Amino acid sequence: MRTNLKVVDNSGAKRVMCIQALKGKKGARLGDMIVASVKEAQAGGKVKKGQVVYGVVVRAAMQRGRCDGSEVKFDDNAVVLVNKQGEPIGTRVFGPVPHELRKKKHVKILSLAEHIA
Amino acid sequence: MRLEKCWFCSSTIYPGHGIQFVRNDAKIFRFCRSKCHKNFKMKRNPRKVKWTKAYRRLHGKDMTQDSTFEFERKRNRPERYDRNVTENVLKAIKKISKVRHAREEEHHRQRMKGNKVMKLKEDAKELEQSIHLVGPLVKKDDMKKEKIIPLREDHRMEE
Ligand SMILES: [Zn+2]
Repeated sequence: MRTNLKVVDNSGAKRVMCIQALKGKKGARLGDMIVASVKEAQAGGKVKKGQVVYGVVVRAAMQRGRCDGSEVKFDDNAVVLVNKQGEPIGTRVFGPVPHELRKKKHVKILSLAEHIA
Repeated sequence: MRLEKCWFCSSTIYPGHGIQFVRNDAKIFRFCRSKCHKNFKMKRNPRKVKWTKAYRRLHGKDMTQDSTFEFERKRNRPERYDRNVTENVLKAIKKISKVRHAREEEHHRQRMKGNKVMKLKEDAKELEQSIHLVGPLVKKDDMKKEKIIPLREDHRMEE
């Protein structure tokens, strides 16, 4: 809650604030879905400032366990905006994303991504 | 399963160990344990930290160029599975590691070669320079045999 996340797609939003983590009481981790409010947006984008949107956390500075027991962490906290069904709003994804998204059934984001870590 | 090398100390990372950090330009830094991860976060240069492989290579402590290292190189082309090849490789691994150990030992011996003579020389020099501390009674010939007894006699003389 109240985490500012960078938006790394071309939906038009620049920065969103997490207002709810779907699933889990401890807050969202890498790969989780969140509800967020748009704090900064470009003019003429698909989303407007103040709108409530859904998103998938694609990068988190906090480490997350991998399936083999090792851990992975990223430079920043970043999100890709999706609709309620989990389909991305934008058409591009910037920067690296973890391959765990496949397990979470966000294959569309994976295919749009430049790098998979 | 690929066995990666630690970014900081270049030791092997076995599956399920360590942590990996993905920078925003998608460069992956893998660390074998929290010690290496912490040192990375402190922005230390592995070439300047004495216990890392990078330091030891840079300062000639370890063997750097050897034909046995060629076998362990990273290859991006996947090899087609062949049972006979695998069998031969498994046999060869033992022999290669034996050869490498022998060569490493030889390298260490070469590196430590002049040390004993140097140590003797330094000791002799110190003896020469600070012989007056022991006292005038002690002759040089006695020094070589026993050090403790003439010292005790000295104390008695002073009293
Ligand atoms: Zn290490």
